This record gives sequence, structure tokens and C-alpha cells, in this order.
Amino acid sequence: MLKVHNLHASVDGKEILRGIDLEVKAGEVHAIMGPNGSGKSTLASVLAGNEKFTVTEGSAEFLGRDLLSMPIEDRARLGLFLGFQYPVEIPGVTMANFMKLAVNEQRKFRGEEPLTAAEFLKLMREKSAVVELSSKLTSRAVNEGFSGGEKKKNEIFQMAMLDPKLAILDETDSGLDIDALRIVATGVTKLHTPQNATVVITHYQRLLDYIVPDVVHVLYKGRIIHSGDKSLALRLEKEGYDWLINEYDK
Amino acid sequence: METILDIIRGFRAADGEVLRIDGAVAEPFAAVDPRKLRVEAAAGASARVVVVHTAPDLSVLEVELAEGAQLELTELFTAEAFAEVSVKQAARSRCRLTTVQLSSANASYRIDLDGADAENELGGVFLAAGSEHCVVKLRTGHNVADCRSNSYVKGVAGGQAVGEFSGLVYVAPDAQRTDARQQSRNILLSETARITTQPQLEIYADDVKCSHGATVGQMDAEAILYMRQRGLSESQARRLQIEGFVGDVVTRCGIEPLCGAIMELASAKMEKL
Amino acid sequence: MAENEKDILENIGEQEYKYGFTSDIETETIGKGLSEDVVRLISAKKGEPEWMTERRVAAYRHWLTLEPPTWAHLTIPPIDFQEIIYYAAPKPKKQLGSMDEVDPELKRTFDKLGIPLEEQMALAGVAVDAVMDSVSVKTTFKEVLAEKGILFCSISEALRDFPELVKKYLGSVVPYTDNFYAALNAAVFSDGSFCYIPKGVRCPMELSTYFRINAAGTGQFERTLIVADEGSYVSYLEGCTAPQRDENQLHAAVVEIVVERDAEVKYSTVQNWYPGDRQGRGGVYNFVTKRGICRENARLSWTQVETGSAITWKYPSCILAGDNAVGEFYSVAMTNNFQQADTGTKMIHIGRNTRSRIVSKGISAGRSENSYRGLVRVAKGAENARNYSQCDSLLIGDRCGAHTFPVIDVRNRTGVVEHEATTSKISDDQLFYCNQRGLSTEDAVGLIVNGYAREVLSKLPMEFAVEAQKLLALQLEGSVG
Repeated sequence: MLKVHNLHASVDGKEILRGIDLEVKAGEVHAIMGPNGSGKSTLASVLAGNEKFTVTEGSAEFLGRDLLSMPIEDRARLGLFLGFQYPVEIPGVTMANFMKLAVNEQRKFRGEEPLTAAEFLKLMREKSAVVELSSKLTSRAVNEGFSGGEKKKNEIFQMAMLDPKLAILDETDSGLDIDALRIVATGVTKLHTPQNATVVITHYQRLLDYIVPDVVHVLYKGRIIHSGDKSLALRLEKEGYDWLINEYDK
Repeated sequence: METILDIIRGFRAADGEVLRIDGAVAEPFAAVDPRKLRVEAAAGASARVVVVHTAPDLSVLEVELAEGAQLELTELFTAEAFAEVSVKQAARSRCRLTTVQLSSANASYRIDLDGADAENELGGVFLAAGSEHCVVKLRTGHNVADCRSNSYVKGVAGGQAVGEFSGLVYVAPDAQRTDARQQSRNILLSETARITTQPQLEIYADDVKCSHGATVGQMDAEAILYMRQRGLSESQARRLQIEGFVGDVVTRCGIEPLCGAIMELASAKMEKL
Repeated sequence: MAENEKDILENIGEQEYKYGFTSDIETETIGKGLSEDVVRLISAKKGEPEWMTERRVAAYRHWLTLEPPTWAHLTIPPIDFQEIIYYAAPKPKKQLGSMDEVDPELKRTFDKLGIPLEEQMALAGVAVDAVMDSVSVKTTFKEVLAEKGILFCSISEALRDFPELVKKYLGSVVPYTDNFYAALNAAVFSDGSFCYIPKGVRCPMELSTYFRINAAGTGQFERTLIVADEGSYVSYLEGCTAPQRDENQLHAAVVEIVVERDAEVKYSTVQNWYPGDRQGRGGVYNFVTKRGICRENARLSWTQVETGSAITWKYPSCILAGDNAVGEFYSVAMTNNFQQADTGTKMIHIGRNTRSRIVSKGISAGRSENSYRGLVRVAKGAENARNYSQCDSLLIGDRCGAHTFPVIDVRNRTGVVEHEATTSKISDDQLFYCNQRGLSTEDAVGLIVNGYAREVLSKLPMEFAVEAQKLLALQLEGSVG
């Protein structure tokens, strides 16, 4: 589904990604871990198409198409979803209005008829149940005045609405208390099918107790320096990154 | 635009030079391109008036509210009209003004709160594209004690357009317990557009609550990015953000279906910004 | 209780300025009136180079074409410019033999302000030379500056000793064409201060006109020029908290500051000129033009505490010409009785990523008029310019006026400008709360006013801040009983 080869990217002339190789297949869950500043969030942003970053080398293929040549919205319409670490507040723009436009743009992209108002409202109701998002929040402006936990739930709610092929969740667990973490993680698990894939970027093992990864990667200095199965995450939790970093820095 | 004119043809016409209002009138009044119109609301009367400017004319509007009268006045500009509006309010009167500029326009409002417990609320919006020039001038006079005013004017300028707001809150000596607020919020969309704003206070009484604020900023690039990640095109994301910014003012007249028609016209304009 | 507080608040407005004019200064004058001959005569008397004379004459000719500005929210009685004496060679003030001869009221004020004895002597006109310590302080001070290559002298000395520097910078920030009073100043300025900080030098002490207080009475048309060369730093203090006695009614000073690349200048003013009596008679007209230009990465910070003068017309401004330049304006303006102040700033953003911040705190009492007037302009090329302005007014009594006249002009879409203003009074609740905790109403008012002005006062150099704080309290003192 996603094939990344030797991806290099920089911001303001500073190289952050220095040759990423990553392959994600349908039905898989990947976890990307690594110390602060290793480039995890940059990888997510670059794949989503944030124009702040410049790709200097390498390629990325998504569903057989050249991801890097597409504008951010086309990547989204094709089925790539980025769950933001810090979802932005958009005053005055209601969730319903925003999501209706987003869902229908995606349908248009796929050559489908737009949803009627009734169909859309039904979809909203259904999907908000996935993450126990109160209907009050869906009638408010996008993320405005939402608590940290509500914002993250709202990200997963939107993911449910848009039903992506590939979801990249950037530190979706950060700042969540244990209940919110459970709700968010359960939501992600419910949405997982053999036809889609999930990449979870995280600092902590605790999220991976709920979302069990098939592959765990360690990102360091803009490269994936180690990959393993879920036991790798447990070892990292216990021993930290030093054993890997020391080996790599040698 | 035709839709709007169709809708207001169904309202009561205010086509004379003087419109006298007695008692509570539920059905809204409407005037198209009035050169001169005087609205007199008797004590305790209430009404809604819609004025549409479709031609580049001079327009003089005088509003006088007797004690306890209530008036909602909505002005829509789709052509470069010069409108001078004066509002005199007696004790306990309420006036709610809305000005929506979808083309070059020059509107100046002079509000005099002459009786205790009078209240005025003004909401304004201008969307200036191309080489348009939108001007909103406002002077709110708190001439006696215990009145309230709240004004907020939101402006968006793109292309080579110029947007100007100049507002003055005047608090007369002895106009104690005045509560006056004034806000000017603006977004510049292009390198060549220009916004000037002058929110001013002139205060001669000490027991007052007066505040004003002004901002000039740009679109929130992060919000645009966020919306694009969810599959919206850049222009959709921009329009949505502008709608979110000015929507509350555009739709504040609350007279359906007029309100929806104005919003549609405004949205069409936003696409051009 | 409530009645009492009301009286106190009213009395604050009745506060008399404690010291009137003194007129014991002997001067050598060249008669009233202004003409081209007078301008040439001033230049000749000062022994200036020819180019300077010609500049003065050009300024004078331009001035003749101008009218006094009328846009400010001020009522200015007509000024007869032919009734003014434009040249008065300063003779040393009459010197007193000891502190005992000083007006006891003045001495009390000094004590209240906590001014050290030797400075009190200097300010009161006691011959400071008699004080050994003071001489040594002054000498050490000069030695330290010389060691660093810092030039700090009067403009007259600078014209004599560093004519090229003066020629290059004088009038480069405030040209004589700027406004009516700047033109007048350029034609007839008597003297002032010149300061040059060489490249990369950090001035190790606060520079202050204070130290020259007896050396030269700078007169009514003062001219200050500060040049901070690349990467340098200086903190400059003007005026002092002690009451300023002055003969001259009209003061039209010009201050120019050039802040070169990576340099930083902090300019602090405490202005306490004679404000006139409680009926509004007399008092200084303070019509000042102050402006600085900031090159790349430069920073200029204006801080002012304005409590004196009958009329103040003053807008210390920053031209943020270079990329990443920063301009700041912190102001407390207090008016009482019939004082009028129209003061504020201009922030002109020209360079990219330029930032400015404005904090203005107006305090009006009595029948005074206090206006903030400001301009924030973001020019076309000023990408990512940022401004934040906050303008607050505090009203004491119900016969004063507090006004805010900001202009925001943005011509670049990446600019972000924010302005906020509030108006408040000292509430009965606040006073009651303080009273309940055992504070007198007078102390409570002082406390509240200082709390209100704190953000600005904290920008002043430490010693100055303490004095300014006491000054604000002192202005409000004596209102009880």
C-alpha cells in the first residue's frame, strides 16, 4: 500500500529525514518509535504533503501512485489520513460543515454522488459513537475550546468519517489520560480492517497495549535504525533507546 | 441578487420619505436604493427594516427611536453607494444595526444615545476584492448615563482592495455607567490589499466600561493545511475560513429566507476574494 | 466612608504643584524674536562650521512655510514666536553655599524621592564642586567611557571635536522638514547631548544627562543625537524625577537615535516639568519630536514616565528599517488639574520580521485631558511584521478626559497587528478592600496607580524605577486632609 524508498527531506535547509525505507501492506499496523527530534513527526508531515518540508531525494508510492507529486488534498482524498499531534482550532467553522465538505470532496474524487443532508447526519451520528464523542462537540466549531482529550477523539472521529486506506497517527496518545487513551485506542482498533493499514507514531509502549503492532520501527537521526516485532516495543520501554543508539552512533 | 430582490418584494415597501412605525410590526419593511428615508418609531413600537443598495447613489437615512422603541436595521451593499445613517435613540430604546458590504461602499453611522438605558448594537462586514474600496465609519455617542453599545466590524480584503474602518466611541461628561465596546477585526488576503483601522475612544466620564480592540491578520495557514489534509481544496478551505470569520455578522439579520440569500451571495463573493 | 473616598479622589485632582518657577538665572541674551539674522547669529555665537549654519538657515526658511500642527487633541493658546528669546547663553545657576539654603519644600521632595544627598545638591544648585566624592565619581565616569571609546558630550562640543559624525547623523532621522517644531528646533537649537557608542561596545553604565546638570543649561530647544554603531548597546536616561524648574514656556526638543545593525538602545525618560498651577496658568509646553531608526536585528526601546508640563505633544517613534528589527514603547502619562497630554508612538515596519510592542498607561485626574495617539504601519515589503499594542486609561475623578486614537495601517498580508484598549477607574471595591486590610485611602490609591503602571515602570533602570514609582505616589500625595 505504502512504499517509501530512501526518503530525504529538509526544512529551512536543514536535513531531517536522511533516507527512510518503509513498506506498509494492507491489514498491517506499524509503530514508529524513537527519541525526541528523531524525525517521527516530520515523516508524518512529509507523507501527508506539508509544504513546509522539501523532499530532496527518494520516492514514496501510495496505492501504486506517486505520493510526492500529489497536493496534500489529493493524498487525503485518495485515502491517506493524518491524525495531527496538535489539531488546530478553526474558529467559526462548524464540525458539521467542515466534515460534510470533506466527505463529499472525497466522494467526488472517487466519482460518487454527494451525500444528502440526511445521509450525512446519519453518518455523523454513527461515527461519533465510535469514539464516544458527544454530539455537542460535533455542533461546535472545529476543535475550538475542545480539551486535549476531546481534540484527539475528534481526530479519530474524523478518521471514522473519512474511512482512510492508510491512517498515520502522530502521537495521538500524547496528553491523554488513561480513559481517553482507552477510548481513542479502541476506536482505532475498531476501524482497523484487513483492507486498510495504520501507522502509529508514539513515544510510549502504553498505546501499543491497545493497538498491537505487527512491526515496530525505531527512528533515529532521520533513519530507521532498527525494526522488529511487538516485543521490541516492550524492550524499548524497559531499556530505553540507548542500546540501539549507542550501536548506531558507533 | 435577483433572489434577494424577489424576497424583499414580499416585504412591506418603505417607499415614501418618512416611515412611521406605531406598535409592533411583525412583517419587515424594505427599501431599495432610497435617496432619503426617515424612520420614526413611536414609543414602544418595534419593527425590522431592510435597506438594499444596488446603485451607486447617495443615500441619507435618519432613524429616530422614541422611548422603548425597538428597531432592527439591515443594510446590504452590492454597489458603491454612499450611505449616511444617523440614529437617535431615546430612553430604553433598542437598535440593532447590520451592514454588509459586498462591493465598494462607503457607509457612515452616527449613533446618539440620548436617553438612559438605550442600547445599540452594530455588526458590520465588508468583503473587498479586486480594486474595491470599502469604508465603514462609526461614531457612537454616549450622551447620557447608563447606555450600552457594542460594535464589531469585520473586514476581509483581497486583490488590490482597500478596507477602512474608523470608529469613535464618545462618552460625554456625566455619562456615567456607560458600557461601550468596539471591535475591528480584519484579514488581508493578498500582498497588494490594504487595511486601515482606527478604533478610537474619547471619554469624559470616569465610571465607565469602555474597551476597544483591533486586529489585522492573515488566514491561518495551519488551519488551511489541516482542512486540506481532510481533503478540502485550498479555495474551499479559504472560503470556509472566511465564512467562519464573517458568517455570524452576515447572517445576523435573522430574517429567513433573506438571511440565507445574503449568505449565498456573500459565499459567492468569497470565492472571488 | 464612601463620602470620604470621594473627597480624597477629588482632592487628588486639586493637587498643587509644589514648586513654581524660579527666575534667578542670569543670562546673556540677544533679544526677542526670530529672523534669519538671529539664526545666523546663534550659529556664529556657537562658533559652528559653515555647513551647520547653512542647515540652520535652510531649516528656518522651511519653518516659515509651516503652520503649527492642530490635529492633536489639545487646546494650545496661540504662541507668539516673536516674543521668544532664542539665544540665552547659559551662565551657571546661582550657586548656593550649602543645603541649608535650599527651599525646605524642595529638600523634602528630594528626600521623599530618595535622591542621594550629593545629587540633591547638584539639582538644587548647590556647588557640587565642594563635594569631593562627586568630583571623583564624575571623573571615574569619564575615564571609563573614554577607555571604551564612547563619546558623550554636548552637541556643541561634538560639532567642534567630531564634526564628521555630527554631519553624517544629525537630521538623518528627524529631518527639519518633519514638522513645525522639528523645523524650529533645527533652526535655533541651543545645545543638547551627543553620544556615540563604537562598534561592538557595550556601554557599562547608564548614560544620563544628569551628570551634566550643572555643566550646561540645555535650554528650551534641546537637541539629542545618539548613535549606536553595529553590535553596540547603551541605556540612556533623560530627565530626572526631581521637579524641573524652567523659565521657558515653550520646549521644542528633538531626539534622534540611530541604531545600527545588531545594536540596542534603551532610552528612558522621566519628565517632570512645571505643569502650571491648579487654575491651569503657566506651565511648560513640551512639544518634542523623538525618533529612532533601527537597522537589521537592531532594537530600540522607549520608556517614558510623563508627569509634568502643562501641554505635552510627544510621540517617540521607531522606524524599523532593517530585517528583524524590534521597536518598543512603554509609557505612563499622568495628567492632573488642567494639564493636557497627547502622546503615543509610531511604529513603522519596513523590514521583514520586524516586531513592535506598545504599552501605554494613561492616568487622568482633575480636569486634565490625556490622549494616546499611535500609528502602526506595516509597509508592503514588511513580511511577517508583528505588532501588539495595549492602551489603558485610568480615570480619577469625573471631570477629566481619557482618549485613545490609534491608527493601524497594514499593507502586507503576512502582517499581524493587534490593538487592545481598556478604560477603568479606581473602584470603591478596591479601595474598600485595601482599607479593610489597614491601608489608608491615600496609600491605597498610590498602590493601585503603581500596580496599574508597573508593567511600564519595570522597564526603567532599577534606580529610576524606584524614583518614578515614588513620583507617581507623590503626585497623588497631600490629597488627604
